[in-house]
Amino acid sequence: MSERRPYRRAQPRDWWAHKPYLGYTVRELSGVGVALYGGMLLAGLICLWRGPDVFDAYRRFLASPLSLLIHVVLLAAMLWHVVTWFQTMPKTMPKLIVGGRHIPQKHLTTAGWVLAFICSAAMIATVLAVGALS
Amino acid sequence: MTQSGMIHTNPKRSLAPIFWLLFGAGGMVSALFGPALIVLTGGMLPHGWGLPANFADYAHVLGFVRNPIGKLVVLAVIALFFWHGAERVFLTLKDMRAGPPPILRVATYGVAALLTLVTLALLLAVGF
Repeated sequence: MSERRPYRRAQPRDWWAHKPYLGYTVRELSGVGVALYGGMLLAGLICLWRGPDVFDAYRRFLASPLSLLIHVVLLAAMLWHVVTWFQTMPKTMPKLIVGGRHIPQKHLTTAGWVLAFICSAAMIATVLAVGALS
Repeated sequence: MTQSGMIHTNPKRSLAPIFWLLFGAGGMVSALFGPALIVLTGGMLPHGWGLPANFADYAHVLGFVRNPIGKLVVLAVIALFFWHGAERVFLTLKDMRAGPPPILRVATYGVAALLTLVTLALLLAVGF
């Protein structure tokens, strides 16, 4: 009886830290940035609940250079999330056929980026308008 | 003896679609509005760039969070962002073989569920 010795491809434990998987790892880590920003908002809600003095301390922290640095990093992660989210989206949905023509994935990605830009720009414009009118 | 040939009348259902849905919803909301939210709450509101100084003070933010629609927005943003991150971290840690999946689930989905409940409780505690 022959012994079965199937070939097992070696997979180092730190495979995720090397190409070509590094891009995947960085993309997934953008989700940590999204969650951390959720935590930043939750911290604000906790401070709001605790009262005006605590909330003012939270606002003072938000106005500090450290907070600005944190938010710049979070913004970078969020922007990478936007880029990769719409790169992935067409791969997760069925082929889109409009009027008998197949819409290429590239176009769906670009449409997603444009939509994201419009949504974020509209949100900031709305807040600026409310601020100007108040 | 397996049940081959028999019809499974009560197959084991997976909860994965629920987590996948929360991940997708959080991913889409953050992709569309996340950059604006960070620029607003991390830059413009605290520094008063282009906005009145009292725009995001205690009274105004409390008023926003006491509004039912405001509550819904805050809950959707915070909870969905947590669920989005939880799914990504869970799948990545699973692929890294960082530990047994049940423990990884508690450490990711569990945290997201807990923080969702905390957010909900705070939104009710600040009043209407």
